[in-house]
Amino acid sequence: MTHEASTLSQPFVMDTAFWTATTIFLLAYAIIVSEKIHKTVVAIAGASLMLVLKILAQHEAFHVEELGVDWNVIFLLISMMTIINLMRPTGFFEYIAIKSAKLGRGEPFRIMVIFSVVTAVLSALLDNVTTVLLLAPVTLLIADALEVDPIPFLIAEALASNIGGTATLIGDPPNIMIASKAKLDFMAFIYHLAPAIVIIMGVFLVVLKLLFGRRLTVRPELRERVLEMNEKEAIKDPLMLRKSLFVLAVVILGFVFHGMLHYEPATVALFGAGLLLLLSGTHDPHHYLAEVEWPTIFFFMGLFIIIGGVVKVGLIKWMSMKVLAITHGNMFATSMLVMWFSAFASAFVDNIPYVATMNPLIIDMAQQIWPDLHGLELLHNPELMPLWWSLALGACLGGNGTAIGASANVIIVGMAERAGRKITFLKFMAYGMPIMVLTVALSMVYVWLRYYVLGF
Amino acid sequence: MKAKDVMEPLREYLTPGLTLKDAIHRMRGAKRNTGLGPKGLVVLDSNGNLVGMLSIKDILRVIIPSYISLMELGNFTWDGMLEDMARRVAGRKVEEVMSTEVITVDPDAPLMECADLVVKHNLQRLPVVDDTGRVAGILYVRDLYYAIVRALMDKEEDE
Repeated sequence: MTHEASTLSQPFVMDTAFWTATTIFLLAYAIIVSEKIHKTVVAIAGASLMLVLKILAQHEAFHVEELGVDWNVIFLLISMMTIINLMRPTGFFEYIAIKSAKLGRGEPFRIMVIFSVVTAVLSALLDNVTTVLLLAPVTLLIADALEVDPIPFLIAEALASNIGGTATLIGDPPNIMIASKAKLDFMAFIYHLAPAIVIIMGVFLVVLKLLFGRRLTVRPELRERVLEMNEKEAIKDPLMLRKSLFVLAVVILGFVFHGMLHYEPATVALFGAGLLLLLSGTHDPHHYLAEVEWPTIFFFMGLFIIIGGVVKVGLIKWMSMKVLAITHGNMFATSMLVMWFSAFASAFVDNIPYVATMNPLIIDMAQQIWPDLHGLELLHNPELMPLWWSLALGACLGGNGTAIGASANVIIVGMAERAGRKITFLKFMAYGMPIMVLTVALSMVYVWLRYYVLGF
Repeated sequence: MKAKDVMEPLREYLTPGLTLKDAIHRMRGAKRNTGLGPKGLVVLDSNGNLVGMLSIKDILRVIIPSYISLMELGNFTWDGMLEDMARRVAGRKVEEVMSTEVITVDPDAPLMECADLVVKHNLQRLPVVDDTGRVAGILYVRDLYYAIVRALMDKEEDE
């Protein structure tokens, strides 16, 4: 189905404000990509310019949903990070990792598969960075114990983390942002994305088998080193562990039912953070709160304001008109274009600013195609829905393409380097890019079959 | 008294390009006034300028894999791991392992200043650097302690 677009959309003028905002936006993007200045500094400076140059009023930046900081995203991230910070000292993650290695009976390929699956599941429930930050050290330890090269394990974990994170609303920042803008709930992500991820994960494990299944062997006496480890020694604070697991269960249940109960995801996460802080009985919240990744949080805040500026002056509208001109309003073509473009864009630039830009663009495009629809009728239009899922799949899975495509990759490469094992950009890409193309191709088939052939 | 009065003159030092294995060998061979081997040596470049210090702590730090210190994984090690890791780093260069931020004093520094630095920065030894930039000697914690001992003993003898 095609639509006559753009004729009904509101006009905008390419005035001084338009060019000022566009310049700030492009400059900020270019500097973020060049990595000459830290991205958080760029985002804060860019946002402040949008305010100082009166592109946005402060009120719009702080309090207007369409133009300013998306506090749903901010509080969801802060709250989840706080919960993890409170949980970390209990030794729970070390326990899971050592237990996984033992379940692998000290056999390298079994361990690789189990670690990949554990990484994927944890990444779906927590954020990817936390997951790899917690699993990579144990991976290096196990690889040393078995005297095998840790690099294939680490790369497999980075890839699995990005795949797993795609499955849920809270798994990966692009999904958090999409959910908030498109007003999609946790179960919608489970219902629409998790099946795709289960299939993709299965194929990913088969690829691992083909690549590494025969290459990894180990002497029996080295296996004993792993089997003799007692995972129970990892638990440092059993009481706090029980409290943490209780709160985590409450939070996950909260996510499952938040749509039904009409709570925003941030409310659920904030409740969990508050509850666990209370239960922990800590008199020193400073420590747990200080460990929140504030640079990431401020990166988001600055970015939202920069994007708000270009939304207000009409740059996003102009871009959406260009996209419509290419696809002529054909939603299937748009979906596929968005998915592949998102994948390659996310492989080379941060997917957070990318998705922050795409969200308003998609909404604007929808508004041009269906000028009579508003609110949820517009956002959840059955013809629009595949576009959200294509954006999520493309942006999240695209992160696998290169070593800088996703934060999890950057963490893995950094940690390997500290352990004296360098993963070069090309080495990562040699695994990451084919996996990215394969998984996005599978996603394409999934979206096509599910929404355009079977239609549910 | 001043730093130059109690320091030991510089006898042995390392160079940045030495391997860790050679550096350890040289540390074993070195002797101090007391007859004990030093637990750390200064690193001088080809012009004789101080570029770092290599101590036993630095060597331990490089032997402990980063992932163990990063997380609470000290419980999950195995017999022979330390030795394995030591062999793995044996070929690393001194310049990769040494501490580069070395706190030094000048020869005329009062002993109280030296004592303060030692306690504040948890040091075992202080290179004494003259105004031409050469390391004239090393002031060890024990040298400071002996100065205290002498002060108290002299007092007793006076009484």
